[in-house]
Amino acid sequence: MKYDAIVIGAGANGLVTAHYLARAGKRVLIVEQHQAADPSADIGWVPDAIIRDLGLSGAGLRIETPDPWITAPLPAGGTLELSRDIGRSVEAIRRISPADAAKWPEFCERMRTLASVLERLYLVPPPDIESTDVRELARIAGLGLYVRRRGKQTVIDLARILPMSIAELLDDWFESDVLKGLLGALGIWHLKQGPRSGGTAFNFLHHHAGSAAGVFRPARSNVTQALSTLAGVDIRRGARATVLAKNGKATGVVLDSGETIPAPHVVSSAPPRATLQPLAIELYPDFARAVSNIRARGVVARGTLTLEQAPAYSTFCIAPSLDYLERAYDDIKYGKDSSAPYVEVQRTDGRVEVHVQFVPPGTHDALADRVAQILNVRPNQLVLQPAAESLYHGELTLDQILFMRPVPGWSRYRTPIEGLYLCGSGTHPGGGIPGAAGRNAAREIL
Amino acid sequence: MKQYDAIVIGGGHNGLVTAAYLARAGKSVLVLERRPRVGGAAVTEEIFPGFKFTMFSYVVSLLRPEIIRDLDLPRHGLHILPLESTVTPMENGDYFAAWGDHDETRRELYRHSPRDAEAYDEYGRLMHFMAQAVKPILGMVPPDPTSFAPSDLIGLLKLGKHFRGLGTERLHALVKLMTMSSADFLDEWFETDVLKATKSASGIIGTFLGPRSPGTAYVLLHHYMGELDGVFRAWGFAKGGTGAVSESIASAARSFGAEIKCDAGVSKVLVRNGRATGVVLENGDELRAKTVVSSLDPRRTFLQLLETDALPSEFVADIKRFKFRGSSGKVNLALDALPSFTCMPGIGRQHRGAFSISPSLEYVERAYDDAKYGEFSRRPYMDIVFPSMIDPGMAPPGKHVMSIFVQYAPYKLNGGWTDAKREAFGDAVVNTVESFAPGFKSKILHRQVITPLDIERITGLSEGNIFAGELALHQLFFLRPAPGWAKFATPVRGFYQAGSGTHPGGGIMGASGRLAAMRILKDGV
Repeated sequence: MKYDAIVIGAGANGLVTAHYLARAGKRVLIVEQHQAADPSADIGWVPDAIIRDLGLSGAGLRIETPDPWITAPLPAGGTLELSRDIGRSVEAIRRISPADAAKWPEFCERMRTLASVLERLYLVPPPDIESTDVRELARIAGLGLYVRRRGKQTVIDLARILPMSIAELLDDWFESDVLKGLLGALGIWHLKQGPRSGGTAFNFLHHHAGSAAGVFRPARSNVTQALSTLAGVDIRRGARATVLAKNGKATGVVLDSGETIPAPHVVSSAPPRATLQPLAIELYPDFARAVSNIRARGVVARGTLTLEQAPAYSTFCIAPSLDYLERAYDDIKYGKDSSAPYVEVQRTDGRVEVHVQFVPPGTHDALADRVAQILNVRPNQLVLQPAAESLYHGELTLDQILFMRPVPGWSRYRTPIEGLYLCGSGTHPGGGIPGAAGRNAAREIL
Repeated sequence: MKQYDAIVIGGGHNGLVTAAYLARAGKSVLVLERRPRVGGAAVTEEIFPGFKFTMFSYVVSLLRPEIIRDLDLPRHGLHILPLESTVTPMENGDYFAAWGDHDETRRELYRHSPRDAEAYDEYGRLMHFMAQAVKPILGMVPPDPTSFAPSDLIGLLKLGKHFRGLGTERLHALVKLMTMSSADFLDEWFETDVLKATKSASGIIGTFLGPRSPGTAYVLLHHYMGELDGVFRAWGFAKGGTGAVSESIASAARSFGAEIKCDAGVSKVLVRNGRATGVVLENGDELRAKTVVSSLDPRRTFLQLLETDALPSEFVADIKRFKFRGSSGKVNLALDALPSFTCMPGIGRQHRGAFSISPSLEYVERAYDDAKYGEFSRRPYMDIVFPSMIDPGMAPPGKHVMSIFVQYAPYKLNGGWTDAKREAFGDAVVNTVESFAPGFKSKILHRQVITPLDIERITGLSEGNIFAGELALHQLFFLRPAPGWAKFATPVRGFYQAGSGTHPGGGIMGASGRLAAMRILKDGV
């Protein structure tokens, strides 16, 4: 069979791209290096447009809405539990700080408004600020107008808050260390930054996108699994594909078995650097340098916790203060894993997943012991795998988003190799929003 | 009672620039300075007999050339002598030196890394272009993106056009400079750690951030914009110290007819029916003026000189939120003889330039870590110059003065600053220098240690922040000092702001003072 397009990677973005292309009548093959799908839950907002377009509700998509959405231990004993209902959270916060409780509803509303601006930006390709095309300029003006219609405060908040550190943002609003710690953790989520680093307020808002007001943890779902059940594309599992190109044009892929599969379009959901470095991109020196400069440093160890019985909480967060998170970051600045890391445990679909930050790539002898001690479990109940590279294929820092993602000037899912496209987390809008990059890429390819 | 056209509160360099421009336009102007001398943080004082200390601000690079020209400052005594080099002693006994001669710097860099020597030229070109690209913004009144007024829309369009005119590569570089950490930005260019440490050090000056904190790349560029006689990146030292810069601006202002009164602290701005009508001095005297200009920082300007009920509550909240967080100190020394550094023994041309104590990125980052948790750096980043080597008039013959800019010293020190803590801080500084220049301590005749609290007490700069408010991205341009009020006017009619706490802020630049004067003249005094 002759394919119109080959998609590398059967993760959420690869699958979404493939199915959008297939819906437009293209013959599509997906090549995935792993045999079985990763059983861990997909983390992040699944945009409604994708659910609707691809009919995911009928494909068994489940989006979890745990309530309370987070539980954090209090230094004096007991826990702080925040609920989806803002009023109930206010009651819970009142027990530790009446002042913070009073501010909670307004904080939730302001953050929701800002996240909604990001949501709007995320479902379309990034604005091309250098374009001279009238339609693109009109689109940018439309985005600008959309923001301004949300009120003067929103414009000011966007300009002030996006470059801020999450610590400054939270210090402006709250006094409780526990509350600031559990919120601040979202600001450094998958980032090699501490809560006092500029841009972490943006990372916080990025991960608030798609969540209801007052819920500051990304949704968890089985979206990849649901996408895998859809018909309409061919999938080859257990084969690792490398892009083939000739005379600056993509010609197909070659598998590790040596087999080549020709196709005029190749779309990769793998990390941009891994996709591009085997190719002769040194012919495009500026592009090659930009690709080698992508920062995608691994800082998280993920894994599972085996418990005799399912825990009572949905998400248990150990980030007792902003200073705790900052000190955890200090260690990795000098190449060490955090002596007291940020640990979060999530119950999902009969599994208990663990997120430990900061952990540099490599092996770590005492890591499981240390985390086990923090969680008060036995080390053999824990399996942890430090990530070699950022889960997001590129850290979500202000210089690596929008028209700067994956590399400046190449944010429209294209590459200097004709017919080769990117559609993974390394492209706009980045990780934590399964399928959004895939959908934008497919629409751009079509 | 005499009514002035304008009273300028604060005789720092920005206040003096405003006064000079207003007087030059024929207005009757009075400058009121709390201290016995003008200059604010740009003063030279003889603290120890025969030794003149540039107490706080010690180098001149950012002073706008149009101000030098418009006010004819050289005729009023401004004479800037170049600082020729920067030598960074390393912990292994080696050094990294950047000399005034470009080729020599390249050869020196080649010794550390041939690759970096190649990249150095390209980097220099890019930064030069970037500084050129940002420079017009320094001379521009920031448009307000929340306003629908035609002038703001036109301003925004102009700005958009300016940025698009830069071209792809520079536009992307600008975004990176605005958002990245100086360490990450430099990592994209260089591999030599000591080079990156020394360059990134200029990205942390005056901030409460480390070289790995995003936002510091902008400060790197801010310092790259130094321009003396049209030569980019030239850092200089004013003959007679930075106090001489202030004196020359004061002299220019007087020549245009401005009056300058020292020992005249202002306690309140008089406001009647929402309009400023004059000021009350600390001694109770009242003075009248059609326009009152404050060159103090935003906190003092709005929360101290005014009754806050004269201001919109949202604005007051914004000003209260404006961050100062002073992080730098200064140690001024009178020396019997110059110190010899292990890495480059003896006394020579290296003493006519700066010594940067920034041996590695980790060193500077660890200095920041101490400050993050409320301690002064045990081994601080330091920028050292010997003003008497450049201008022999600063010390008695054969003797020397040594100016050490130190980071970090947090204003909010754990337990607060005391005399004992100040001395401990001074010891940390002196002992660190000693480790790079053994025998140095025995040459000290007199030592003056200045903490951020001292900077606040002496100059009035809140929390001792040398930029009158942090140069953080969310405190720049139309957000400096508060959204909607970045155009030198204030919510009180006839009351203006002109200090470094307004756009573009920071350094002995004078741009804020000049833009404020333009605005006042445009509004019609």
